[in-house]
Amino acid sequence: MIEAARFWAIVVLVVAGLFFTFVSAVGVIRLPDIYARAHTASQTDTLGAGLALAAVALALGWQQASVYTVLLLFFVFITNPTAAHAIARSAAETGIEPVTADSATDDGSPDSGTGAPDRNSSEPDAGSDVDGGETA
Amino acid sequence: MAGNRVLVPLSDTVTVRQTVSYAVRSGLEDADSLEVHLVVALPHDTEVPEGDEQREEANQLLARARRWLAEDAGDADVTVESAVLGDDEYLFGPRDYADAFEEYADEHGVDLVVIDPEYKPGVTSSILQPLERELDAAGLSYDEAAVERPARHERLVGEGTERFDRYFALFWISFGFYLVLGDPTYWFDLVTGVAVAGIVSASLANVTFSFPLDRIESPIRTVRFAFYVPYLIWEIVKANVAISVVILRPSMPIAPTITRVNTRVRSGLPLLALANSITLTPGTLTVRANDQRLIVHTLIPSAREDLFDGSLERAVRFVFNGRESARIPSPRERGDAEIIGGDEL
Repeated sequence: MIEAARFWAIVVLVVAGLFFTFVSAVGVIRLPDIYARAHTASQTDTLGAGLALAAVALALGWQQASVYTVLLLFFVFITNPTAAHAIARSAAETGIEPVTADSATDDGSPDSGTGAPDRNSSEPDAGSDVDGGETA
Repeated sequence: MAGNRVLVPLSDTVTVRQTVSYAVRSGLEDADSLEVHLVVALPHDTEVPEGDEQREEANQLLARARRWLAEDAGDADVTVESAVLGDDEYLFGPRDYADAFEEYADEHGVDLVVIDPEYKPGVTSSILQPLERELDAAGLSYDEAAVERPARHERLVGEGTERFDRYFALFWISFGFYLVLGDPTYWFDLVTGVAVAGIVSASLANVTFSFPLDRIESPIRTVRFAFYVPYLIWEIVKANVAISVVILRPSMPIAPTITRVNTRVRSGLPLLALANSITLTPGTLTVRANDQRLIVHTLIPSAREDLFDGSLERAVRFVFNGRESARIPSPRERGDAEIIGGDEL
């Protein structure tokens, strides 16, 4: 009985983890710009990895290795936002302007996918005025 | 000729004495009378339990500085005013200090701030550079006092008990971590653990903690942090579901905005915890952190509303400052939250 419950709990956790990882992948493809994509990329690390590691801990049972999975999760939770922030910050410093609600409504709907790659690679000269604007 | 008026923020440092004499010397160079305003800025409002003690220390420092001034001034025409700032509000970052000084300067017609290069208000680490930047932004002219200071390492070595606390805390943290990775019942791991933890604490204790440990407060903070983690995970789950729904809907109703939130948490670990928590929660992403001013990218309106309601900020304040300080108005009510254009990054 307990074994069956554990088995199904593991299955549910893995499936939920997979679901959030899948959503995150869909989001990276659909969302318009680098900032929006950074949001959804953190979903993989938080719930995607979190649920999968919870499943691993449950599958391993009460032993040393399951303590490691908790530690692993702890470090993922520290490093993931740091990395996401580093990406967003360097994007801001390179002068990439985010697609905002105002700019998106100008051309009807938020442009999903197509306009995004140009947006991220364009405006190489915009970086020069970033430093000036930051101190203001 | 009208006399100079200078503002000298004081804190208990090795160079505070020299700063005072520098202020007198440089102030009397080009004017025959000088008005010196000595101020001590308190980091927290004096409502907190240790407030009376802080106030007392501030007054003692001011009294000492007055004596030094009298000594240095000799028979020159020097008048002294002294005040304690910030006893009715929280001063968290350099910006708050700059604002407090500016307000005082406006009130008293002060035209120059003389800063101690080691200026270190309250218990935070040195804030000289960001403070100078903020004073610039506030349009207040300042002068860094020319002082001779002892080599830095002397300052890093804290007082006896404080130093012991650092070694003690770091020893047990590293020993505990070692045993989590190893086997706590195996004698070999215990012996090597003691050796490793000893080396780690001896070599790194001085750089690990940027904030003096408190024997009662620090363990309590750790316990409070343990309460914070489940709360944060719950917030993450909620936000994940909300974002997933938005992404999977064919119309994808996102409304990305760039917002600026002025937080009321101390620099260092609390600010790191808050900024990281904001980023961990899908839907909000910290793009920039200039001291307490966070530039946050939000993906959907509900995530923005949550951010402006400041529940995470309250939780972080609860962890580091206790339940009392968690009861503050939300960033929206304080007027510390605004939506800014994407070009203001």
